[in-house]
Amino acid sequence: MSHGIPRGSGVQPATAEDRQKELQKIKDYKGLVESVHLRIQERQYTIDTLDLTTKLLRWNPEFYTIWNHRRLIMRHILSAGSGEDGQGFKTSHDASVNIISDELSFLLPLMRKYPKCYWIWNYRLWLLEQSTHYLPAVAGRQLWQQELALASKMLSLDSRNFHGWGYRRTVVNALESPELQSDGSASTLTEQEFDYTTKMINTNLSNFSAWHTRSKLIPKVLTKKQADKVARRKFLDEELELIQRALWAGSEDQSLWFYHQNLMSTFDPKYAADSMAPDLSGEERLEYVTQEIGRIQEMLDGAEDCKWIYQSLISLSILYKCLSGKWPVGQSVIGHWVDELAKLDPLRANRWADLRRDLGAP
Amino acid sequence: MSLVSGPGRGGSGGSVPDELKLVVDRHVKYIQSLDTRQDELEYWLTEHLRLNGVYWGLTALHLLGHPEALPRDATIDFVLSCQHENGGFGAAPGHDAHMLYTVSAVQILATVDAVEELDRKGKAGGEKVGEYIASLQDPMTGSFAGDEWGEIDTRFLFGAFNALSLLHLLSLVDVPKAVAHVQGCGNFDGGYGVSPGAESHAGQIYTCVGALAIAGRLDLVDRDRLGGWLSERQLPNGGLNGRPEKLEDVCYSWWVLTSLAMIDRIHWIDGEKLTQFILQCQDLDKGGIADRPGDMVDVFHTVFGIAGLSLLGFPGLQAVDPIYCMPKAITSRIFGR
Repeated sequence: MSHGIPRGSGVQPATAEDRQKELQKIKDYKGLVESVHLRIQERQYTIDTLDLTTKLLRWNPEFYTIWNHRRLIMRHILSAGSGEDGQGFKTSHDASVNIISDELSFLLPLMRKYPKCYWIWNYRLWLLEQSTHYLPAVAGRQLWQQELALASKMLSLDSRNFHGWGYRRTVVNALESPELQSDGSASTLTEQEFDYTTKMINTNLSNFSAWHTRSKLIPKVLTKKQADKVARRKFLDEELELIQRALWAGSEDQSLWFYHQNLMSTFDPKYAADSMAPDLSGEERLEYVTQEIGRIQEMLDGAEDCKWIYQSLISLSILYKCLSGKWPVGQSVIGHWVDELAKLDPLRANRWADLRRDLGAP
Repeated sequence: MSLVSGPGRGGSGGSVPDELKLVVDRHVKYIQSLDTRQDELEYWLTEHLRLNGVYWGLTALHLLGHPEALPRDATIDFVLSCQHENGGFGAAPGHDAHMLYTVSAVQILATVDAVEELDRKGKAGGEKVGEYIASLQDPMTGSFAGDEWGEIDTRFLFGAFNALSLLHLLSLVDVPKAVAHVQGCGNFDGGYGVSPGAESHAGQIYTCVGALAIAGRLDLVDRDRLGGWLSERQLPNGGLNGRPEKLEDVCYSWWVLTSLAMIDRIHWIDGEKLTQFILQCQDLDKGGIADRPGDMVDVFHTVFGIAGLSLLGFPGLQAVDPIYCMPKAITSRIFGR
C-alpha cells in the first residue's frame, strides 16, 4: 500500500496534454499485460516472453501473477537445460548456472528500488531453491553463499528491513542443509551469525532486529558448544555485561530494555526453562536479581526522568519477591517508583494503574 | 475499487478546527469515487490489490453506517469474476489465485450475506473454496502457503482460519498443528513473527493472536508481556508504530489496537490521543485517511483508521469484530452469538 507517500507527489495530470500522455501510458501498459497473459495462455515459454515479463515487472514489480508467469518460463528453460539431450552434464549445468545468475542479476536493481516488495524476495528465494534442485551441490552452494553477502548489503542499507533479516535466516538454513553439502555432512553458521548480530549492535545499539536475532541464536550456540552449567553462566555474564554497557549508553532506548527483560527471564521460574541458563539454583537466581537491582539503581542517578529504569526496578522487585518471599526494598520505595513511572508515562496510565492494583501498592 | 492513492492528503482541507470530527460523508463519497478513476495509470498499476480493495472499502462503508453505498449485485459479480476453477480467487480477473484474495472474497461475500452465491453462480462452490484453502496447509508443519509457489507466512495461516471459519469449514484443516506452528513463531517479547525465528511485528501479532482466538487458544498468549510490548507501540503524538523505533502509521491503529483488545489490554494505551491522531490523518475536504498527517490518503489506511476508531468506541460508528475486522453485527449473524 501507499505507505509514506509525501505531500506533493501523485499530482493529478493538469493539462489536456498531460491527460493525453497518461491515457497513452495506460494503453501501453494494458497492451503489455495483455500480450504477456496471451503468450502464457498459449504456453509460449520463450526468451521473447521472458523479455516481455522483464519489461512489465520493471514497470510494476507488485504484479504477482507476472512473477508466477516468469516462474513457469524459468522452470521450462531449466528443465530443458538439464534434459536428456545427450550433451555432457557439465555443459548443461554451466548453462543452468548462467541462466540463474542472469536472473539473479536482473532482480538486484529491483530489490534495491523496492526493498519492501514481498514478491521480489519470494521470487528470488524460489529461484535459488531451483538452483538446489537443478545444480550439483558445489555450484548451488556457491550461489547461496553469495546471497549471504547480498543480505548483508541490504541490511547495511536498512538495518531494520525484516525482509532482509528473514532472507538472511532462510539463506543460512539453506547453507546448513544437507542438500548443499558436497560431502553430505552438516555445517553450521550459528557462531558466524551470532558474531554478525554483535557487529550490527556495535554499529547501532538501537537495532531491535539484531537483539531479537541474538535471542534466537544464543540457545543454538550453547547447544552446539555442548555448554555445561559453568559455560552457560559465563555466557550469561557476558550478555549481562553487554546489555549494561548498552543501557548506560542509551537508557531511553526501548530495544535495549526489551532485551534486558529477556535476560532477566533467566531468573524467573516461569521462563527459566527456555533461557540460556535453565538450571540455576533459586539462590543463584536471587543473587543475580539482587546484583541487577543494584546496577539499575545506580543508573537512576542523573536519569530520574527515565521511565524504563523505574519499570525495570519494579519488575525486578516483583521477581525478587517471587524468589525470596520478601521485597528487596521498603514498599514505600516501590510505591514511589510506581508514582514516578505513572507520572513520566501518562500514555500508559491505565497499565500502571493495573500494576499498582496487582502490587496491592500503598 | 481503485487502490489509487489520493487525491486527498491527510491533514488537509480547510482550517484545522479546534475539535476534529470524523467526516463520514466525505469518506463515503471518497470510497464510492474510487472505481471511477480508470483514467489514472495508478488505477491499473494497483490492480493486484483490487479484491482486497473492495473488502477494505466495503468494510469501511459498513462501519460508517452506509452499507448500501456500494451496489450489492455488482460487488458480488466482481468477486465471482475473480474466481478460478480450483476454488481460489485472484486479485482481479486474469490474476492468479492466492490466499490473500480468497480470504477477501469470502469476507466480502459474508459481509453482503451472499456466501451461497458461490454454489449458485461461482466457478466453484463454497466447499471447493474451503478445499482450496485447506490444500495450502503443510501437513508436516501446520503452516500455510500463500499459493502453489510455497511462500509461508502467518498472514496466510490467519487468512485460512478467518475464511474457513466464516464458511463453517474449519474442520477441513489440522487446527492443533497450525496452533503449534503459531507457537513456534513466538518470541521473548510475547509477540509473534512471520515464521519461526522472525522478529515480532504488530501486523504478524494480529494474525497470530487472531488465529489463536479463532482456535479458542488465547490461553497460550503471554498477555502481560505481549500487552506491555504492544502498549509501547504508542508514540508521544498518539499514533502507533509496528515495531520498536519505527514511525507511527494509521494502519497500526488496527493491528496493535485489536491485538490489545483480543487480550483485554486495550486500555493500556491512550485511546483519546490515538483518536486525535487518526482524525488528524483525514482529508477533511476530499475524504480518505492517510498513514500519517501530510501523506496521501488511500482506502487501506481509511478502513484501518475507521476500524481503529470503532474499536475505541468512537460515537456513530458500527461496532467492529476485533478478530475478523468485519462489522460485529455480521459476524454475530454468522456465528450465532
